[in-house]
Amino acid sequence: MELQLGLALPPPPLIPIETFDLNSYGNYETREALGSNALSWPLLKLGPADNDINNIHHHNSSSSSSSSSSGGGAGCKKRSFDEAPFFDEKRNVPKTLHLLLWTNQPNDEDDDPSNVLHENSSSAIFKNDGEGLVGWPPVKTWRKKVHHQIPNGGAENNRLPKVENGIGGRASKSTYVKVKMEGVPIARKIDLSVHHSFEGLTNTLMRMFGISDGNPKIFKLTYQDREGDWLLAEDVPWRTFIRSLKCLKLIRSRG
Amino acid sequence: MQKKTAYSFPDEILEHVFSFIQSVKDRNAASLVCKSWYEIERWCRRKIFVGNCYAVSPTMVIRRFPDIRSIELKGKPHFADFNLVPDGWGGYVLPWISKMAGAYPWLEEIRLKRMVVTDESLELVAKSFTNLQVLVLFSCEGFSTDGLAAIAAGCKNLRELDLRDSEVDDLSGHWLNHFPDTYTSLVSLNISCLGSDDVSFSALERLVGRCPNLRRLLLNREVPLDKIANLLSRAPQLIEFGTGTYAAELRSDVYSNLAEAFCNCKELKSLSGFWDAVPAYLPVIYSVCSRLTSLNLSYAPIQNPDLTKLVSQCPSLQRMLVLDYIEDSGLEVLASSCKDLQELRVFPSDPFGEEPNVSLTEKGLVAVSSGCPKLQSVLYFCRQMSNAALVTIAQNCPNFTRFRLCLLDPKIADYRTLQPLDVGFGAIVEHCKDLRRLSLSGLLTDCVFEYIGMHAKKLEMLSVAFAGESDLALHHVLSGCESLRKLEIMNCPFGDKALLANAAKLETMRSLWMSSCSVSLGACKMLGQKMPRLNIEVMDEKGPPDSRAESDPVDKLYIYRSVAGPRFDMPPFVWTMDEDFASELS
Repeated sequence: MELQLGLALPPPPLIPIETFDLNSYGNYETREALGSNALSWPLLKLGPADNDINNIHHHNSSSSSSSSSSGGGAGCKKRSFDEAPFFDEKRNVPKTLHLLLWTNQPNDEDDDPSNVLHENSSSAIFKNDGEGLVGWPPVKTWRKKVHHQIPNGGAENNRLPKVENGIGGRASKSTYVKVKMEGVPIARKIDLSVHHSFEGLTNTLMRMFGISDGNPKIFKLTYQDREGDWLLAEDVPWRTFIRSLKCLKLIRSRG
Repeated sequence: MQKKTAYSFPDEILEHVFSFIQSVKDRNAASLVCKSWYEIERWCRRKIFVGNCYAVSPTMVIRRFPDIRSIELKGKPHFADFNLVPDGWGGYVLPWISKMAGAYPWLEEIRLKRMVVTDESLELVAKSFTNLQVLVLFSCEGFSTDGLAAIAAGCKNLRELDLRDSEVDDLSGHWLNHFPDTYTSLVSLNISCLGSDDVSFSALERLVGRCPNLRRLLLNREVPLDKIANLLSRAPQLIEFGTGTYAAELRSDVYSNLAEAFCNCKELKSLSGFWDAVPAYLPVIYSVCSRLTSLNLSYAPIQNPDLTKLVSQCPSLQRMLVLDYIEDSGLEVLASSCKDLQELRVFPSDPFGEEPNVSLTEKGLVAVSSGCPKLQSVLYFCRQMSNAALVTIAQNCPNFTRFRLCLLDPKIADYRTLQPLDVGFGAIVEHCKDLRRLSLSGLLTDCVFEYIGMHAKKLEMLSVAFAGESDLALHHVLSGCESLRKLEIMNCPFGDKALLANAAKLETMRSLWMSSCSVSLGACKMLGQKMPRLNIEVMDEKGPPDSRAESDPVDKLYIYRSVAGPRFDMPPFVWTMDEDFASELS
């Protein structure tokens, strides 16, 4: 099912515009009620000749049931100043793309497959290495760390709270370290606080860089410590590793 | 009869008039009146704001404005704060610094947000702008303390150095030593993001001691509590102070020194820091509390009753940032004590926990909305909400300019009626006519977007996640929100139709971000072909888009208007959809 896009402006006389009456959408329970009727999408065309922003909003406000009557002229002109600090002064807004309706297929299939996929696998798509939903909740990285600092959810307020957690003496507020793989230009970041052993860390790294399980020995994990030296991760115990590492690099082992 | 024209003012007079116009928006308006005003204005413009560093090129800016003294640039989209923008996406400041180095030798102020700043850039800044007074690096990354050392050594007129929320590679704490002994002009220093545990404290002490105009000092976590008293005694003129770690064993000498030091800071109005805070040391700030207008306890694991007791002593508070340990009971105390409160932010102490660990619900926010008539700006993380509460809040606070509600469980319904929260958020946009920023959460249908499109006429920024059911939702917003500049959407089931039907609207906005939605590659290509003044960037770390079908949804989409054309500094996982892309791969 192809979406058709038209660009050309209708020559006068105007084709009657389907008004997009928000009042008519009384219930939102079934999308099929909207989709199965052929003309469910508006033709949001522009008026004649003059394509500036004024007309777009004029149409929208006249066809919607909103009570904003100041839509038209002055309001829109002012807005276009605000919105265009560096625009060319000719301000030629291109014609609005309008949608032709999709064909009379009952129960539109075009938007369903991706949505079904979305709903069925929502839990799979969005979880990320056991860290929960990616990007949710919208808390900046260093705020997440505050929780880690509190043993027993803060019940021991009267004692000196432990500054150390599993990350040891890492002074930096972020539990993410950079990981580079030899031959790959883009560095990644990995959250150390969810790993507690070399095995777990290696597994995550293999997944992240797409290294197959068949060749675990090909790559060696190295890290740069606080003094700037590069060391082999396998040579040190986990706690030492965690305490002193600044960033990681996977290198191909030779020989 | 002599014809008089209104435009017979000599240029110098107009220029003088323009010098009173500070706001960027007003300047832009003035420049559009006529050609001569445009010319005069551009020569005397001193300050510019570029909300998206890729919307325009440095060359274009320099060509139009030959004598800029203050620049503000923003790079990555806002969702970069939540790790949604992969590393290497872009936002490099070096091209700007390089061009400006030659064009604006008298540059005084550089403010950057979410940009990649390298040591090389900082070294170039220090070398090129000898008159630099303000350097603000807000949520930036890519530089180390070596770059800071160059700034310290080279910028003799620096007044303000603010690294808020930036990620800095700490190579050595000795960068502070690079401020020469003759340097005394520091007014504001924010190093709260630095991690190194060898920020040379003695260098900091000396610096603070020799800068009599220092008004704002935000320390990093590593500065121990027992050093604070000494530092404060060298800077009793401070207006804003951020502690380091606020935990130590209780010792009476440390305690009394601290109390005395705080007491002597007669102008202190704003406090922050308080990492790892223990209740034992809280009373040392009581002498300051009555004057405090801003208090940031959002890193302090303090709980009630200590937390509530502290809050109750701050009647002048205008701005309060706190963890959800404050609970509903603490917020009720806040509501009755702090009648001047304008901004409240409540952060989650356990954002990933399955079960609530504190008793913070919608009731706390309702209490504050009822008790604090000047409340304008809210950021509230909690685990339950009801439409009734939101309606009450909206009716109590018609003056909201920013309302961001984050329900930790993304699709949670009204806990009392099990209905979607459409009506509640609808009340917010209907009553709060000046609302400029809104973040939605909870179970939401297309309905809420209809309300938003209908009422939120001043809305400039909208953040949406896990909401809506169809493209109607997006269409309502794009067609109804006249003032919309930034729209960011994650995990919502819409895309193509609404985008294509409202393509022209996108040129009136700064940017649109959509990730994990249902925007197909085909739609992106179409937009790219038809809208030459939009950059349509598709991000996908799994592989190039041409390897997949047209109907496949793209992982991440970032659309922004630009007069500079597509950018060329993209990493391999970002593709610009333009005419070339569409034609060579179709």
